[in-house]
Amino acid sequence: MSEKETEQSAPDDAVQYDPDSSRYDLYECPECDNVVLALGRDEPPMSCHDRPMERVTDVEMQVKPPDVKQVLLQAFGLPKAGLDICLCVIGEGPLSASEVAKELGYDRSTVTRYLNTLVELGLLRRSELNREQGGVVNVYHSVDLERMRRETLIGFYVWAGEAAALIEDANLTKQDYLEENPDRELPSVFWEEFEDD
Amino acid sequence: MPIPRRAVLEQLAAESDATARETTTVVTLAATLEIDERAVEAHLQGLAACELARIDADGNTRVTITGEELLELGTDEVVIVDALGQVSGR
Repeated sequence: MSEKETEQSAPDDAVQYDPDSSRYDLYECPECDNVVLALGRDEPPMSCHDRPMERVTDVEMQVKPPDVKQVLLQAFGLPKAGLDICLCVIGEGPLSASEVAKELGYDRSTVTRYLNTLVELGLLRRSELNREQGGVVNVYHSVDLERMRRETLIGFYVWAGEAAALIEDANLTKQDYLEENPDRELPSVFWEEFEDD
Repeated sequence: MPIPRRAVLEQLAAESDATARETTTVVTLAATLEIDERAVEAHLQGLAACELARIDADGNTRVTITGEELLELGTDEVVIVDALGQVSGR
């Protein structure tokens, strides 16, 4: 890809890692290629090769900023309708399943199905409440905020780890290819070969 | 200023009793919550659809056992009541 094409494809709303921001930090090992992400900590979170890891400060690249909806959809395989349901009721509940279905334009059975999916994903809890005329009613509500915070962060880190491993595999494949084929062009064949792996 | 439906349920539970079948009125609720009676009625209809409140023909209303149990859950976000999932005789 040419420089011109690279410039044209850069998103307008790209963000850049800011080492001075307290939102998150990147650390790297001065001895090896180990890089870690840390949230909400001021000190290096761990050591590597018996040395404290060092904060990454020289990154100039820009990346497309994540969207919370897309992160949840991608990282947790959350169905979009399920997310719509969660967003629909925040601050509005208690709502009946019929009201949610009407608001979102879904069948009531669809809402019930997605509610159960959200329970299976651990994003909602289901409780059975007694009815005055007998039987029970299912109530779907938020899980404990601390528990949700922990589970969504760990879940996302697992997903990010898988993504990082894919990128690393791609880089190693690219490196191997260039070493084995020093005289060949890379771009047109690299991704095809990687996909075959 | 709009008032959340949950606040209406909490006030309804404070002014009525499911077990003793003690009721309150829309007028009383509206006065306590300092909102329009029609807004209270709309919320009560929504709560009734969730089986969390009962409204009789005279306009008297009370929390249900289901409503009291919901408040005891102590959750304050994303509450959906699905009567489709009801299981009888348990």
